Order: sequence, then C-alpha cells, then structure tokens
Amino acid sequence: MADNDEELSLLEALDHLLDRGVVISGEAVISIGDVDLLYLGLNIVLANVDAIIRTANKR
Amino acid sequence: MRAVVIGAHRHRDDIRDDAIAIPLADLFLSGVEIAEQQPVSDRQLLVRVSRIRAQLLERATFIAIRYGFVIANESDAMAKCGAQVERWRRLLDEHRDEVELTLKVAAAAPLPRPNRTDFGSGADYLRALHAATQGAAIDESFRAAVDAQLVPLANQHRWIHRDNASMELALLVARERVADVNVAGAKLKSFDVPFLFSGPWPLEVFIDDHE
Repeated sequence: MADNDEELSLLEALDHLLDRGVVISGEAVISIGDVDLLYLGLNIVLANVDAIIRTANKR
Repeated sequence: MRAVVIGAHRHRDDIRDDAIAIPLADLFLSGVEIAEQQPVSDRQLLVRVSRIRAQLLERATFIAIRYGFVIANESDAMAKCGAQVERWRRLLDEHRDEVELTLKVAAAAPLPRPNRTDFGSGADYLRALHAATQGAAIDESFRAAVDAQLVPLANQHRWIHRDNASMELALLVARERVADVNVAGAKLKSFDVPFLFSGPWPLEVFIDDHE
C-alpha cells in the first residue's frame, strides 16, 4: 500500500509538472532522438494545446 | 550553465535543497541544472525535477512554470521572462500566504476518448478531444457536497474540465486553513465516488486571473 501511495503521489506530481503553471511562449521543447523522447514530447504538446483551447474559451 | 526552470519566487531563501536559484530582477527562478546536451524529455530528468519541485512545495509558495522551459543564464532568463516580472511580483506578494489544493473527481459516465485514426485532420481530432473533455460530468450530489463543504473554506475556487473521464476543482486556500480543508475533504469519502484530493500545490491555476 505504501508503494501504491508513493506511485500515486509521483504520478500526481508529474501531472502537475506537465499540465499546470505558466507556459512561456515558444519554449515547449520537442526532442526527436528516440521513441521515449518523442512520446514525452508529444505529451507536453498535447497538454499545451488543450490549455490553449481552455484559455481561448474563457475569453 | 543550462537549467530547467521550476518556478518564480519572491525570495532567495524560498529556494533550497537541490534546486538552484537564478536571479530575475528582484525575483528568483528555481531550476535544475542539466548538461548541455541533455534533452528535457529525458524520463529520469522529468522524475528528478518532479522530486525537487516537491521539496520546494514544503518551503513557500511560488508561481509554477510549466515543464519544458529552459534558460542558459541570468541574462537569458531576463530576456525571456523580463516582461513578466512586475506581474509575478504582485501575484507572489498577494498570494504569499495561500496555496492551491486540487480535487480530481471521476466522471459519473466517462465519455470515450476520441481515436486519432477516426479523424481525417488533426484539427477535427483536437475539436473532438476538447468536446469529450468538456462533456465530462460528475455525480451531482457529490458536487453539491463539495460546493457546500469545501468551497466556502477557499478564497477562490474553479471547476475545470481536464479530460474525458474526470473533472477537477482547484482551490486557493489560506495556509492556515489547509488542515480544515483536509478534514472537510476526508468527509467526502462517505460518497461512492472515486476522487483524489491533493496538495498543497504552488500557484498553478489562479495565476491567470489578472491577465
């Protein structure tokens, strides 16, 4: 159970790191080096696009 | 030097442990130093930054910078963030004694996530993704309980559609009231609704109020 809690906590922390906070324009970096890098890069881009749509709808 | 930026802080003393401090006018950016050739999408780096960010949460509030922002040095930081300094300073002073808490609630009937292969264009896919996200709804009695028990304890609150399977409530809470909010949050366990109550987090959601 402790391991599960720790994993959950890490996942939540990663979720906040990737999908919350100020986006500095033009600084989302995509690295195309191998499969792992591309996968994470796409996640970052999708999060930003969704945030952009949310922001646009609020205005 | 090259560093992944974590947040913007009002005081140098708010940045400790494994994070480095980069001056930005009279503010400070916290960051994690990385090698010149290290990609920011490296999984180990991502986890390392996440752990250091968690250490900073124990110290003080800060404005969270979304992962992926890299600076080379102090003048690079000023070139990229200089325009934000005045606004960030005001927000940091204004919210110094507040933190964010997050309640993520599973949707009552999750909508299916659109499949990219079902759409001819990326734009159509993104619209469908957005529609699925906006369509997620949670149990009404649970939401009523949250609005009655948690929301009054917060200085600000915002319900957010994050994905097709959940909704999220962000709360801006005075530090001294965090314990009270946690007690109120624990009472929600009487509902048969899956949820995750987490925090404290830095200023992540309520930093755009003045834009």
